[in-house]
Amino acid sequence: MRGRVRVSCLVSALLAAPRQSLCRWRSACDRRLTAAASRIPPPGSASRLPPAMKQRSIASFFGSPVVGARGGPSSSGGDGGRVKALEPGAAPKRPGDEPKPTSKPQAAQARSPPKGKRPSQDYGVDAPRKPKRLRKAKGQGKAAQPEGVAAEEDVIDSQMESPRNEEGRGQAASVADVAGACLADSGKEDGSQGADHSDTESDADSRTSASSESEVSAENLGGRKAGKNGIAEPGGGTPGKGKATRSPAAKKRGKKKAAQSKAGKVEGVGAASEAAAALYSEFKEEDYEDWDAAKGAPYKVLTDTFQKIGNTTKRLEITLLLTNTFRRIIKRSAGDLLPAVYLCVNRVAPAHEGLELGLGDATLIKAIAQATGKKEALIKSQYEESGDLGTVAVSARHTQRVLFPLPPLTISGMFQAFKAIAMAQGSKSQDQKKQMIGKLFVSSKGNEAGYIVRSLQGKLRIGLAEQTVLTSLAHAVLLERDSTSGKGSLAERLEKAAQTVKQVYSLCPTYNVVVPALLEHGLDDLSKHAPFSPGMPVRPMLAKPTSGVSEVLDKFSDCAFTCEYKYDGERAQIHVWHDDAGKQKVQIYSRNAENNTSKYPDLVARMASCLKEGVKSAVLDCEAVAYDIQQKRILPFQVLSTRARKDVTVTDIKVQVCLFCFDCLYFNGRLLFQEPLTGRRQVLNSVIKEKEGEIQFAKAMVSREVEELEGFLNDAVAAGTEGLIVKTLDATYEPSQRSLNWLKLKKDYLEGCGDTFDVVPIGAWHGKGKRKGGYGSFLLAIYNPGLEELQTICKIGTGFSEEQLKELSDQMRGYVIGKPKKYYSYGETLIPDVWFDAKAVWEIKAADLSISPVHQAARGMADPSKGISIRFPRLVRVRDDKAPEDATTAEQVTEMYQQQTLVQAKKKSRRDMD
Amino acid sequence: MFEAKLIQGNLIKKIMEGLKDLVTEANFDLSPGGVSLQAMDSSHVALVALMLRGDAFENYRCDRPRSIGMNLVNLSKVLKCAGNDDTMTLKADDTQNNITLVFESQAEDKYAEVQMELMDIDSEHLGIPDNTYDAIVKMPSAQFSQIVKDLSSIGDTVTVSVTKDGITFSTSGDVGTAHITCKQNTSMEKEADHTTVNLEHPVTLTFALRYFVTFAKSTSLSHQMSISLSKELPVMVEYAMGDMGHIRFYLAPKIDDEESMDDS
Repeated sequence: MRGRVRVSCLVSALLAAPRQSLCRWRSACDRRLTAAASRIPPPGSASRLPPAMKQRSIASFFGSPVVGARGGPSSSGGDGGRVKALEPGAAPKRPGDEPKPTSKPQAAQARSPPKGKRPSQDYGVDAPRKPKRLRKAKGQGKAAQPEGVAAEEDVIDSQMESPRNEEGRGQAASVADVAGACLADSGKEDGSQGADHSDTESDADSRTSASSESEVSAENLGGRKAGKNGIAEPGGGTPGKGKATRSPAAKKRGKKKAAQSKAGKVEGVGAASEAAAALYSEFKEEDYEDWDAAKGAPYKVLTDTFQKIGNTTKRLEITLLLTNTFRRIIKRSAGDLLPAVYLCVNRVAPAHEGLELGLGDATLIKAIAQATGKKEALIKSQYEESGDLGTVAVSARHTQRVLFPLPPLTISGMFQAFKAIAMAQGSKSQDQKKQMIGKLFVSSKGNEAGYIVRSLQGKLRIGLAEQTVLTSLAHAVLLERDSTSGKGSLAERLEKAAQTVKQVYSLCPTYNVVVPALLEHGLDDLSKHAPFSPGMPVRPMLAKPTSGVSEVLDKFSDCAFTCEYKYDGERAQIHVWHDDAGKQKVQIYSRNAENNTSKYPDLVARMASCLKEGVKSAVLDCEAVAYDIQQKRILPFQVLSTRARKDVTVTDIKVQVCLFCFDCLYFNGRLLFQEPLTGRRQVLNSVIKEKEGEIQFAKAMVSREVEELEGFLNDAVAAGTEGLIVKTLDATYEPSQRSLNWLKLKKDYLEGCGDTFDVVPIGAWHGKGKRKGGYGSFLLAIYNPGLEELQTICKIGTGFSEEQLKELSDQMRGYVIGKPKKYYSYGETLIPDVWFDAKAVWEIKAADLSISPVHQAARGMADPSKGISIRFPRLVRVRDDKAPEDATTAEQVTEMYQQQTLVQAKKKSRRDMD
Repeated sequence: MFEAKLIQGNLIKKIMEGLKDLVTEANFDLSPGGVSLQAMDSSHVALVALMLRGDAFENYRCDRPRSIGMNLVNLSKVLKCAGNDDTMTLKADDTQNNITLVFESQAEDKYAEVQMELMDIDSEHLGIPDNTYDAIVKMPSAQFSQIVKDLSSIGDTVTVSVTKDGITFSTSGDVGTAHITCKQNTSMEKEADHTTVNLEHPVTLTFALRYFVTFAKSTSLSHQMSISLSKELPVMVEYAMGDMGHIRFYLAPKIDDEESMDDS
C-alpha cells in the first residue's frame, strides 16, 4: 500500500488558491537545474511581502526525478513568478559543491586540479578521481556533469607541503618591493615557468575539456600564452622580447645579481614587465562577464584565485592572477574592490586601528563542530593529522545535506562578516563569533570554507605578499581605468603605476582612502587624493646591519654621513595635530604601525610642553627608552618590556620613559619625506624643546675618522645603547624601506656577525644528564615571508644557564604540538623530539653564517639548493615584543651571508697583497 | 486588520517551544484561511512549516493577507505573560508595525495586553510539493520523544530504518551502540497509542540527532506523530493538531558515511 501524504504549500496566498510549484530541466545540455517557480499574488497582497519574494520547490533540491517530471505548463503561466536558475549538481546532496552556473569555467578549473607531478594543494576536488559519485549523479538523473561532483575528503591542502620551486624564488621581490625589482625578479623565474608549464599542460587541457563551454578563464589563458609567447619554452624555445630563456647557470647568476642589487633601484624596464605587459594584452573582454553586478562579486572569485595563487610560487604568475581578478571586479562591480583588497591582505581595517582577526584554534574548532554537527574531538584529531584547519573545515562540510542551498557568499559580505567577527566584544562575544562563523561555514561551498578558516586564523598562507597585492591593484587600475592615458610603453606604465601605488600607500597606509581614490581619480593624481595625514602611521624607515666600522666607511666612501646612538627601546612614531574642533591630539605608533597611545599616557601628557611655540602639527620619529631619572641614565630594553602594554594610567607607571627623537616627517602641514636628513633635523630642532629625562635629541656626531667612529661607538655602548645608526645626510626618508642610507652598527660586531637574529623556536630535544627533565637544545627558524614558511637556521644548545634553560623549557612546554606545522621547513636529518607552535621569538647572536646541507634558511637564495645556517648561536634575550612574522627574514639572512663573504674576500685580498 | 482569538492560549506557547530552538526569527503569513509560518534554520538543514486554520480560532478575521516578521525568542518572552489557562487574542493593524497580544484568564479576572514590534525579515517562500513517501510511520509522540532523548545521550546521529516489521532507530557513540525498534501495534484501545507502519519500500536514512531532539519539543501538541521517509528526500516529522492544523518539520538527511567512504 502506498502511503501518500499531501504536503501543501504553505504560503499564505496559496491557501486560497493553491498553485503547484515546480521545477524542471530547462534543457539537457544546459546542465543547469532550473527551478521555475511561479506564484500568482493574491489580490491586495504583498503590501508587506518583500518584493524579492521567491518561491522554490523543496523537492528540486533533493533532485528527485519525480520533481523533474512534475515540471508542468503552469510554470510558464506565472505572471509574477521569476525563473530562478538553481545551482547545478543538486547542491543539497553535496553541500560542498559550488554550482554557480554563471561561473562555469572557473568551477571546472577549480575541480580539476593538476594531474601533473605537483600534488594538489587546493581545497578542490579531482573530478576524474571520483567516477563513482559521478555515475551515481547520473543515475539519479541530475547534475550529470563533472561540476556536480562535490569537493570531498581527498582534499589535500597546505601549500607548505608542496615541493617548492626547485630553483627557489625571487625572494628579493618580497622585500625590495619596488615594482621594477618585483617584476625583474619574477623575470628570472620565467625560465622555470616555461618548464613547469609542460607539467601543467595536460591539466590545462583537461580543464578546457572539462568546461563545457569553450571559455577558458583569463588566468588560464594567460598561463598558456606565457608558454606561447616564449618567455621561455621548455628546452629553450623562441626567446621573447627580453632575454628570457636562460640556462640554469645563467638563472643562478641572475638571481645573485638581483639579490645584490635589490636596494630598490629599478634598472630600466625589465624583460619581465614587458612579458607582463604582453600577458595583460591577452586579457579579453569576454573573460569577465561572470556575475550579477547587483548582487556583488561572489567570494568564490577570490577563493579560486587564492587557490591558483597557492599553486604557484612564481611572483609574475601570482601578480597576473590577482591583477586579472581585480580587473574583473573593477569591470563588474568596482565597489567590491576595496573589500577584495582587504580580503587579499587578510585584514579588516587599516593596521593602525588594531582590529584583527586571528582567532584561536579552539574557537574555530568549536565553530566548525557546531556548524557541521561533528564532534569537537573528531575535528581536533583531524586537525592534528592534517595540520590545516582549512582542510578539516572543507571535508567536514560534507556530511550534512541542506534543504536549500544558501545564497553564495559575496566578497563584500565576507568582509563585513569578518569585520563583525573582529569587532565582537563583551561577555557573549565568543558565542556571537561562533555563530557568525557557523553561518559562514554553512553558506560556504567548495574551497571557500578552507579560506574562511585560514582568514580567521589570520594567515592565508598562499604566498601572497602585500606588495604583490599593491602591484596587482596598480596594474588592474591602470589597465581598466587608465589604459589609454600616459606615455611610454605599457610595460613602463605598469612599472610606474606599481611604484606610484606603493609609494602612496606607504604614506597613506589605508586602503579605505587609496582604493576609492584609485577608482575615482586614477593613478595620475593619486598622491593628491590619498595624501599623508597626521594620525595615520607611516611604516618607519629601517636600517641595514653592517659588520663593522670599516664596512660603513666603505659604503659611505663618497658621501657625507652622521652617526647617532642606537637606543635600545621601542620605536615610537609620534603624531601631534589638531583635530577639526581645534583640540590637540597625540597618537603614538609602534614600529609595526600599531597604536601604542594607550601604552604611553605619560608621553602623551608630556608632548604639549615639549613642543615649541607655533607647532600645530608634527610627526616625529623617536625611540622610547626606559630611563632612570635619579641616576640620569638609560635602562636596558628588558626594563621597558616590563611596562604594561595597554590602557596604562599615568599614576601606575613604574618605568619612566625618555623619548629620543631623531627624525621629523611632517611639520605644520608640510611633508618632509623628500627633504634630506639635514633639512629634517633642522625642522626637528625647531619643533622640540629638549628636556633632560623627558625628551631629548638622539646623540649624534659627524666624522670620517675610523678611530673617532670607534670611539663614538664605544661611548654609545657605554651609555647603554645598542650601538650606532649611521645615516647619509642627504638621504630622503624612505618609509618601510630597509635602506642602504641607514646602517646599523651594533656593539657586538666584533664578536662575529654584525647583527643579531630574531628566530622562532619550533622544536626541541629532551635534555640529558644534568638537563634531564627539561629541554637540552632547541631548533630555531627564521621567517620567509614570500613562502610564508619558517625555515630552520640552527640548533641551539649552549649559551644559557641551567636556570634560564629551565625557564625556557617551562615556557615552551605550553607550545608543544603533535606534529610540525605544514609551513615548517626543516632538514630530514634533524628532527627534534618535540615540535612547538610558532609563538615565541628569541634574539640570538652568532659567530658566522655558512651554507648548510641540513638547514633550510633562505634555501635556494644564496645557494641554488642549500640553505644557510649560523654557527655558535647564543641566546641574547626573549623578544616578547615580536611575533614570529617579525623574525629575521630569509632575505636578511641571505644578505648577511653575502656581506660576510664579501668582507672575507676583501680581507683575503688584503692579506694577499700584504 | 487581523484579529484572532484562541481559547487555549497556551497552544501558542507550546508551538513556540518547538520553534524557537530551530529558528530565531520568522515571518508569520496571515491570510483569510489561517495563520502559517515557514522557516528554515540558519544552516538550511531543517525547515519548519506551521499551519493554524482560521476556523480553529474562536474568532478569526483577516481582511487581507500579510506577512509579519517576529523574533521568536522575543515572542516566547512575551508569551510568558500568559497564564496556562488564559485565552489569547492576537491583533495587528495593517497600518502599524506592531502586534498586540491580549491574555485573559478564564475567570475573566485578569487582563494582560502586550505590544510587540514587528520586524522586516527577508525570507523566501518555499513551495513544498506533494510527496509520495516510501514509508510512513505513526507512533505515540511521547514514545518518539523518549527514544530520541535516550539515543541523544549515546550518539550524535540517528539512523532510521523502516521495514515491514517496524521502525528502528540506531545510534552509536563512545559509549557504544543502541538500536530501538518499535513494531507495528494496533492492539491498544486508544488509536493514539497505536504504532502503524505504511510501507511502500524499505528505507534507511541517517540524520543529525540534535534536530530530532528539537522536533520532539512539540510532543505536547499531539498524542500521535508521524514520520515520513523516502530515499533521498528530507524526512517529514508531523504533529497534527486535529482540526486546528499541524506543525511539520523537514530535515535533510546526512550523507551516508559509507557512501562517502566508497568514493574516497
